[in-house]
Amino acid sequence: MTASVAPLSAEGISLKEKTPIQIITQRFLRHKLAVASLVLMLVLFTISLFAQAIAPFKVEEIAVGKRFVPFGTVDEKTGRIHYMGTDDLGRDYFSRLVYAGRISLSVALISVFISQLIGITVGAFAGFYGGIVDSILMRIVEFLLTIPTLPLLLIISSMLMQNETLISVPEPVLVVMGKIMLLNPRDSRQAVIIIIVLAGFGWLTAAQLMRGMVLSLRNQTFVEAAKSLGASDVWIIFRHMIPNAMAPIIVDASLGMAGYVVAEAALSFLGFGIQDPVPTWGNMLSATQQFMNDRPWLPLIPGLPIFICSLAFNYIGDGLRDALDPRLKL
Amino acid sequence: MTGYLIRRLVQMVIVVMISAAASYALLNLAPGGPTAGLRQAVQGGRNRITAEDIARIRAYFELDLFLPYRFSRWLIGQPRGPLTIFGREFFGDTIVGCYQERMATVRYADGTIKDISLGCAQDVTLGDLVGRRTSNGVLFGDFGLSWRLLRDRPVTMVLASRLDRTLQLISLSTFFSLVIGIPLGIYSAVKQYSVFDYVFTSLAFMGSAMPTFFFGILMILTFAIFFKNIGLPYLPPGSATAVRAYTIPWIGTVQPESLLDHALHLILPVTVLTIVNISGWSRFIRASMLDVLRQDYVRTARAKGLWERVVVVKHALRNALIPFVTIIVFSLPGLFGGAIITESVFSWPGMGRLYFLALGDYDYPVAMAILFITAVLTVIATLLRDFLYTLVDPRIRFS
Repeated sequence: MTASVAPLSAEGISLKEKTPIQIITQRFLRHKLAVASLVLMLVLFTISLFAQAIAPFKVEEIAVGKRFVPFGTVDEKTGRIHYMGTDDLGRDYFSRLVYAGRISLSVALISVFISQLIGITVGAFAGFYGGIVDSILMRIVEFLLTIPTLPLLLIISSMLMQNETLISVPEPVLVVMGKIMLLNPRDSRQAVIIIIVLAGFGWLTAAQLMRGMVLSLRNQTFVEAAKSLGASDVWIIFRHMIPNAMAPIIVDASLGMAGYVVAEAALSFLGFGIQDPVPTWGNMLSATQQFMNDRPWLPLIPGLPIFICSLAFNYIGDGLRDALDPRLKL
Repeated sequence: MTGYLIRRLVQMVIVVMISAAASYALLNLAPGGPTAGLRQAVQGGRNRITAEDIARIRAYFELDLFLPYRFSRWLIGQPRGPLTIFGREFFGDTIVGCYQERMATVRYADGTIKDISLGCAQDVTLGDLVGRRTSNGVLFGDFGLSWRLLRDRPVTMVLASRLDRTLQLISLSTFFSLVIGIPLGIYSAVKQYSVFDYVFTSLAFMGSAMPTFFFGILMILTFAIFFKNIGLPYLPPGSATAVRAYTIPWIGTVQPESLLDHALHLILPVTVLTIVNISGWSRFIRASMLDVLRQDYVRTARAKGLWERVVVVKHALRNALIPFVTIIVFSLPGLFGGAIITESVFSWPGMGRLYFLALGDYDYPVAMAILFITAVLTVIATLLRDFLYTLVDPRIRFS
């Protein structure tokens, strides 16, 4: 007696296979706060991208005789609205906030990009080749990581800011940066210097992470296989090692964004960063701090986006860590 | 062991020397200094400052010497003059600087006018250095004279006047952070996934993302301005003491420089620093505690039937605190260097603010002294950390 058994189809028993991207997205979506933060940051970036269309006024435009006008005051001549009133000089606060966002976020984004690039390269080569160069390099990195960064950032930024001849930034760079941040080339020099200062110290953790990853990957079989196929060192590093070591780097970059937004704001707040006519959240905060007795919203308005960005990028980093490599979770 | 210590000491000296040289070079490339603004300062009238005056002032602050000589005089107080061996002088004619440059105004073909230097009008030789005032050298604890903040006063005096304020601030906040932060971290780890843990980790996460300057301003807005406006007892928004007596509701009149006055001024900055520290440190403690609580020997201790409290405090905590040594030890440089941002927000007259003022005012000897001492303390902290690690954790050996 034979029972008829329905033939099992392959689709019936095996789950549909997911691509790694799908798995990661799914895991990231589980972290509600990270998703919310991501949406919030996308909104902020969009606002910054269309700063010129959104801001009713220009950054330096002074409404004469209209210091500290209240929220929603209408400009009689042009009919434009001061959504958040004006500051002590009669400049539209909302427009400055929008432009400041563009500058602050661009500085952070470019700093992250450059510092990760340096960190990845240095870390990968140090880890791959090892030896005396590696140990000297890592000693330097370790030492730089232990000393308090802020005093150094202050010194270097004050030195570079005041001394135009010491580091001459090539004109095309200034023009491109000016385009990105909606500044004239003369003002964008400040932003470039802040980026140099921030990225100059920011690559250390990325280098350490990358070196650690490369050290652990170096003895894996797939590297051996690539080597036996005659791949060159550079090929192995760029084609095999770096893609496999990206998880912690991406997390570090996201946390780095938070750090850079705060660091740039802190430098500008202390007066060692981007200077006043050019708006950034940090220098708006420090410029209006003196009026907080009567007008507490003036320092609060630029302070909030700094806090929000810092928190959001931290959440995004947290979510990415969960998504990319759960083992990394603290 | 001895070999290891000697090697570490040598390394330490090298690192200190490199950081001293680097910071010195950095600050001396920067513009400004004691002559900054002098040309603009007293123009017109009889007090016009001439090029000769500026040269004299430059010489007074040793700015006329070449960088290596200046650095060596700053570091070890040498050379003070020609080398004297058995009563005979050597190298007396060696040029070590330039008292005054020969300037010429040149008009270029395209119409621009520039002042260019045509070399040195008057050299400074080693022989000229005899009798010049000099510091005994940083390595011997003499940091020279302040350039601008307290012109002509020794830097050590400027630093000493600020040190106790920073010590008050940092030691109090470190103390409170430890006393509050460690138990919070432990409790949160022991009660993992509880409501408390959830709330606490979220708050700590937000706290560590909070920029200090914004947090400080929020605190001032709330506890100094808002509380004052609605008639509640408020706290002074900044500075370390009041200038004149003030009245606070419920508390009464506070005399300036009284103990109460000092305490009231301390509350806000200490709170800000403490909360920032707690949110970082307690998350660290929680993570390391969770790690330890998963270990086999903790399970063994529980299986033996020990009280949970004994397991947590005697078995788990001890090992969870080992990585914490790093954090504690590295707050040593901060004890001297202060907290730049917090001190600035609250106009707290401490080291951090002094550093910030010195940099903004081109008082480089002061800034350099703070930087140098901080670097030395950092190096000492590194050494101390490695030493303490081997002490608290016998598994770690010197290598």
